[in-house]
Amino acid sequence: MDNSDQNRSVTFERLLKPHLERLYRFAYRLTGSKAEAEDLFQDVLAKLFDKLDDLVKVEEPGSWASRVLYNHFIDNQRRFARQRLISVDEGQLPPGGVDSIPGADSPEHNAERLDDIVRLDKALAELSDEHRIVVLLHDSEGYKLKEIQEITGDPVGTIKSRLHRARARLRELLSAGGTF
Amino acid sequence: MSDTHLNKQLDDYMDGTLDDAETLALDAHVDSCNTCRQTVESEQHLRGLLKDFPVPAPDTAYFDQALAKASHVSTNGQRNRWVMTGFGGAIAAGLVAWVIGGVLLQTPDPTDTAADIPGVTMVLEEPRTVNLVFSSATALDGAVLTVNLPAGIEIEGFEGLQEITWMTSLQAGKNILPLRLIATTSQGGELLARLDHDDRDRTFRIRVSVS
Repeated sequence: MDNSDQNRSVTFERLLKPHLERLYRFAYRLTGSKAEAEDLFQDVLAKLFDKLDDLVKVEEPGSWASRVLYNHFIDNQRRFARQRLISVDEGQLPPGGVDSIPGADSPEHNAERLDDIVRLDKALAELSDEHRIVVLLHDSEGYKLKEIQEITGDPVGTIKSRLHRARARLRELLSAGGTF
Repeated sequence: MSDTHLNKQLDDYMDGTLDDAETLALDAHVDSCNTCRQTVESEQHLRGLLKDFPVPAPDTAYFDQALAKASHVSTNGQRNRWVMTGFGGAIAAGLVAWVIGGVLLQTPDPTDTAADIPGVTMVLEEPRTVNLVFSSATALDGAVLTVNLPAGIEIEGFEGLQEITWMTSLQAGKNILPLRLIATTSQGGELLARLDHDDRDRTFRIRVSVS
């Protein structure tokens, strides 16, 4: 790697490093799988590096990178269908669709929480991709409607309507399952 | 104020996007109405679960490695494995079993007679989840799973496609892939799932009947 390449790498890292965790979480929300999220994330970083000359000019590199990631996911999701391949321990069938549960201080509380999250995971799996993505971005990741609009290119009204329907469907599914 | 009114405004109320007067009015209503208070508490619970819905953290060095790899990959013109990948490792023996409706069935084999093949009965136009369970002794990176559907059976979200391919990684232990199937005709038939890894592959069958 010569000096020019080194400089590009340093610039790339400086611009993107503050946004990497959020970008990775976004990839996970889209794919629903750690392995796929890592692949999508890595794929997009390579793409962003190729676009470094553009990246240095944008005001909000994080938002711009999120848009690139989203578009790359959309462009490829038909080729490699979105999957929810879930790893479970022996004897844990049917599956819980989670890899880890936040908080480990109270086993009883965690067990109850795990049950709820497993039910939520199943309910989320029942949603369409566009409904699941918007509810996870808004309610799990804390994206504003305007931010989702900037990423997806969909009108705020459409996003709000999807969010409303997604939540209503989740309530319906979870109520039917006795969670709430 | 009726409960219906709160339900209509529940999202806006919880999101804090109502104006002050509307918020105060609903606050007062929720305080005095058990049904609405329970609705709000349930919603708070759901929002809490969504907020905590986990994202498995990558390894500590993952981001640094990913950055370094991005510049290296780009410089060398390599393609990422999410789009195209080479395979490594070997498929463990006894790789695939089927679970239908939560009941673990015997691992089928391509040489099984028709009577040995596990089956699932669908109701026409009614989606049903069939879980594929892959047991692997070791982690498998870059495995390719191909599902061939019989005519009249579709995977929800991929209507009109008779063959769908996933590129995936299997972890050591059991890995589950739920497929949401829909029968569009009463024909039924055999669903094939082929798993390729390295230069090896295995194909498994399931009989789909439609009532």
